[in-house]
Amino acid sequence: MNEPVVLVVGAGLAGFSAAAEIAGAGLRVLVVEQAAAPGGAIHRQPLPGIAYPVASAVHRRRWTQVTASVRAQGDRIEIRYGCRFAGLDHEGTALLTGARNALVRPRALVIATGAAERVRPRPGWTLPNVMTAGALQIRTKTLGKAPDGRILLGGSGPLLLAAGAELVKGGNPPVAIIEAGRPFRHVIGSLGLPLPYLREAAGYMATLLRARVPVLTGTEIVRIEKRSGALTLHVESSSGGRTFDGDLIGLHDGIRASDHYAAASSIPVMRAGDCREALGARAALADGRAAGAALVAELTGTVPASAKDSSRIERERRAQRRLARIFGHDGSARLAALPADTVICRCENRTVGDLRALGPVPTDRDLRLHGRFAMGACQGRFCTEWVRALTDPSHAGSPLGAVRLPAHPIAIADLLDAGGIADNPSTGE
Amino acid sequence: MSGRIYWNGTPVPFLPGENAASALLRAGIAGFGRTPTGLPGGVFCAIGQCQGCLVMADGRLTEACLLECREGMRLSPRGGMNE
Ligand SMILES: Cc1cc2nc3c(=O)[nH]c(=O)nc-3n(C[C@H](O)[C@H](O)[C@H](O)COP(=O)(O)OP(=O)(O)OC[C@H]3O[C@@H](n4cnc5c(N)ncnc54)[C@H](O)[C@@H]3O)c2cc1C
Repeated sequence: MNEPVVLVVGAGLAGFSAAAEIAGAGLRVLVVEQAAAPGGAIHRQPLPGIAYPVASAVHRRRWTQVTASVRAQGDRIEIRYGCRFAGLDHEGTALLTGARNALVRPRALVIATGAAERVRPRPGWTLPNVMTAGALQIRTKTLGKAPDGRILLGGSGPLLLAAGAELVKGGNPPVAIIEAGRPFRHVIGSLGLPLPYLREAAGYMATLLRARVPVLTGTEIVRIEKRSGALTLHVESSSGGRTFDGDLIGLHDGIRASDHYAAASSIPVMRAGDCREALGARAALADGRAAGAALVAELTGTVPASAKDSSRIERERRAQRRLARIFGHDGSARLAALPADTVICRCENRTVGDLRALGPVPTDRDLRLHGRFAMGACQGRFCTEWVRALTDPSHAGSPLGAVRLPAHPIAIADLLDAGGIADNPSTGE
Repeated sequence: MSGRIYWNGTPVPFLPGENAASALLRAGIAGFGRTPTGLPGGVFCAIGQCQGCLVMADGRLTEACLLECREGMRLSPRGGMNE
């Protein structure tokens, strides 16, 4: 039982569907998940003993099926929670920290680490109780109940509507949803969306309407202020400005693939789900399966029956593009007009003014060495996009500097504790 | 296991399986001290990507959103430890 395992990082839709596929071909799999429970970004489960009024029946059914497919593989799949993958070196050694620190030599690696939310910098976005809309979703899902206090949601994208509807179901409807785009103007365009998308959107809208949650479209968040213990949100639309008071603000401007583990290595490495391309839940499931099947083909030479279903992924890609058009708006003027003291890099407290001080066309080296952008603890996950947009939009998608391992700060004690390199992380041999 | 963790010595109740970020927020604690450069620390992404919710937990720097509560666990603001 000491043959090396296939290491799968992430116990979300993509990771679990890849794990089931790989184990289904008779290979042993170790799934590591940094959170204490599976589910990933969308299928966050309620804490033990808490009822789950928030997820829709469709979502619940999907998650039940995925977990059943993992369980069906018995002990061919081992799952370790509270365990984090910090990176893979060129020789194929992976560092795991948390639940049990270890250096392991897997036979192959599947990275299924999901997406991160995009949040455009705005004055006040670093205040306590200002977080991502996804963070509010996660709190609502795990506690089976919305957070207390007056909640405001703002930014842009369909996730705001989903989050708003979940807050309603969790017993605390948001005060308002501020959407920069004008999605409801695109009735014809919306009809081109696949039926499940339309059904999901209609469900969220019905829930929001019933709870009389105002959805302000074509409206931008200009700044957030802290006033006598509460937060004040300043918004602007073509009809002028207004303010909302709240206790908790959820910001969101879309999602983006989160892959900070890139490394050329001697073992096969696959990426699956939102970390490869942020295409949402349906695609993540199909993508995990496809990555698993491709890996099995590479390792064993036999192509599983469920080999790449690229039509599915293509369909989801088209749908996501359409959604992006429906919610589309030009935020570049807002970004360019940000006051100089607006923080862009949250880790190192670097501002728009600091960025401008680097001159009109700073090189990546200037940006990093002198500006300290993308040099903080999150390695630029949250600032790179905006630094690029403000300095060189033609390089919008490109990272600021190479990926550095470990992919997140780790304690030296953990590194020392990891000890020697094991082929089989279960036995340590 | 449910029970109590301590934030700067103050008891904070937690639910079985709850992470420290969630327990602190439920107790009305949203500011987790300051980052080394002076910004307020606290929960931002809640999925282990932003490093915003770093706290000292039993003597080591950890993201509160990924830290499962254990009875008696002692947390405090990070206080410039990671400079
Ligand atoms: C906050 C948030 C909320 C979202 N809400 C919705 C929604 O309501 N509806 C919707 O359709 N889509 C939503 N999405 C989009 C969603 O990401 C996808 O639909 C779907 O979850 C993608 O599945 P996945 O398996 O690729 O990633 P995920 O489900 O995100 O799973 C990735 C898993 O990897 C783990 N992980 C990450 N890094 C490491 C590491 N280094 N070591 C170990 N484990 C790691 C994470 O903890 C996570 O459990 C949301 C996205 C985000 C970021």
